[in-house]
Amino acid sequence: MEINEENRNSAEEKISTLLDDLASLESYIRDLFSFLPSPVCLVSSAKIILEANPAFEKITGYKTEEMIGKTIDVFFDKERTEEFFERTLKEGFIKTEETFLFDKDKNSIPVSISTILRKNEEEEVVGFFFVIFDLSEIKKTEKILKDTQLALTNMLEDVEEAKDREEQEKNKTLSIITNLADGLLFFNNEEKIDLMNSQAENFFGLGAKEIIGKSLQELDNFTDLKPLVKLLGKKIEKIFRKEILIKKNLTLEVSTVPILREKTKTGTLVILHDISREKMIERMKSEFVSLAAHQLRTPLSAIKWTMKMLIEGDLGKITKEQKEFIEKTYHSNERMIELINDLLDVTRIEEGRYLYKPMLIDFGPVAQFVVNLYKEEVEKRQLKLEFKKPEKKLPGVMLDVEKIKLAIQNLIENAIKYTPSGGTVTVALKHDKNEIELSVQDSGVGIPEDQKERVFTKFFRGANVIRMETEGTGLGLFITKNIIEAHGGRIWFESEKDKGSTFYFSLPVKKELESFLGEF
Amino acid sequence: MINLLQKKLVQEGYDVWVARDGLEGLKIMKEIKPSLILLDIVMPKMGGLEVMEEMAKDQELSKIPIMVISNSGQPIELDKAKELGARDWLIKTEFNPQEVVEKIKKQME
Repeated sequence: MEINEENRNSAEEKISTLLDDLASLESYIRDLFSFLPSPVCLVSSAKIILEANPAFEKITGYKTEEMIGKTIDVFFDKERTEEFFERTLKEGFIKTEETFLFDKDKNSIPVSISTILRKNEEEEVVGFFFVIFDLSEIKKTEKILKDTQLALTNMLEDVEEAKDREEQEKNKTLSIITNLADGLLFFNNEEKIDLMNSQAENFFGLGAKEIIGKSLQELDNFTDLKPLVKLLGKKIEKIFRKEILIKKNLTLEVSTVPILREKTKTGTLVILHDISREKMIERMKSEFVSLAAHQLRTPLSAIKWTMKMLIEGDLGKITKEQKEFIEKTYHSNERMIELINDLLDVTRIEEGRYLYKPMLIDFGPVAQFVVNLYKEEVEKRQLKLEFKKPEKKLPGVMLDVEKIKLAIQNLIENAIKYTPSGGTVTVALKHDKNEIELSVQDSGVGIPEDQKERVFTKFFRGANVIRMETEGTGLGLFITKNIIEAHGGRIWFESEKDKGSTFYFSLPVKKELESFLGEF
Repeated sequence: MINLLQKKLVQEGYDVWVARDGLEGLKIMKEIKPSLILLDIVMPKMGGLEVMEEMAKDQELSKIPIMVISNSGQPIELDKAKELGARDWLIKTEFNPQEVVEKIKKQME
């Protein structure tokens, strides 16, 4: 019995301890429930809220007292809640189902919901635990991430597009470069060759592979490249249309262009233009002109010399009458010579290499010299020839003296030819600090209004002067204009029919002319 | 024309030898070593510029002064002749025999 008493005592003790433990477990769970950071609520099987923890209060904005007794539908979409309940009943739980929670202020908060079924000892459903996880921060971050991703994708697409465009552009440029009729070489800043197009390969009989990456110095080892390397020099400078002979029948015109990218030099493009054909034509033309000049002048000079010697009595005595005839023939012959010289001048003008040997000259005496040539002629025609020049010495000009004399001669001769006796021809010089101006004024027949435009064209002769049967080739003013313009000057005129004409030309003084000639 | 000039020069008291092409000219000048050569540009067998090139190669001939007297007068030819040492270039139609003689006299001084 004692033992039983003892046993009963110890059983009571155990039960008491157990009850204590149970009580502390309940408080433990309650504490846990309270401090759980996730919002949790307990809902009855009729969806009535039985209990909510502080985190749940926080997310919904309701106090526990306000919530208890309300249905859970207050916070969620009714259909979703229905679904959650059914699924929980069926499967015992649902795990992280996303939905929206509506708080007291009717804000919708993205949340994920997990539920678990609560049963009693008899396995009867007594309710559900709703565990809510606030997704708003995650959603926010997710949105930012999504936006960033979108922006990145867009950027990437733009870059791709730009790359594609650039690629296309590059291909286009490359195909232009490859198929260009001109040869192209590109030297980088280290004077090494980066690019050679197929035309350049043809010119030098080399493959691009053989020379790409080579320096100027190394290129000098290729025979056909030697003239080019020599022209380019140690450091590639700006070159404009310089001719070089590569080999027989191949002349190239070389120009260089610095290639800039955003104002920084990235290298130099060397352009090679094949002018072999032009050179051949030029040579043939030059040979033809030379031959024609020779062929035409030879008989004329024989006539000239023979007659001159006859006139001067070197070949025996002649009568006065004979002498007069021979003098007339001599004069006609001189006109023929002049005509041929004019034609040769025109050919040279058209060849574009007319100006020859320009020198710094005092212009006054040159003009005076030409004027003096016509003293006799003017007297014979009963004209007055005046020469007006400023007292101050004129500034020097760069001139091809023979050509300028010819230009002045042409103007004075025209003035004399087309002015009836009793008239006056005035040659006047003036200057400012930039130019020298010469004018030849006559009181002659003038130029008809409708023909003024054509005065400086080749073979032009005024309708009124042809009727006068005056000698003339129609080349004088064309030649004169070309002479003046080759010196960087201007030529113009004023004219009134039956009253006279004034022809003017101006020449730049030394400084201006040098810069003009410097462009060639 | 050669005859006319020869006559004129002989009148002035010069000894004159005449060659009618470039090769003949070279042959004569090698023999007699003249004091002045009047040279045409367009000639049979060998042109004047070629004659000058040949003369430049020869030590003795290269010292003889040359006056070109021609009807051709292309700037390219003028430059070439000057480069090869021509003293003067006369275009036949622009001078008469007397003037040519004056030029020669001046050159011979």
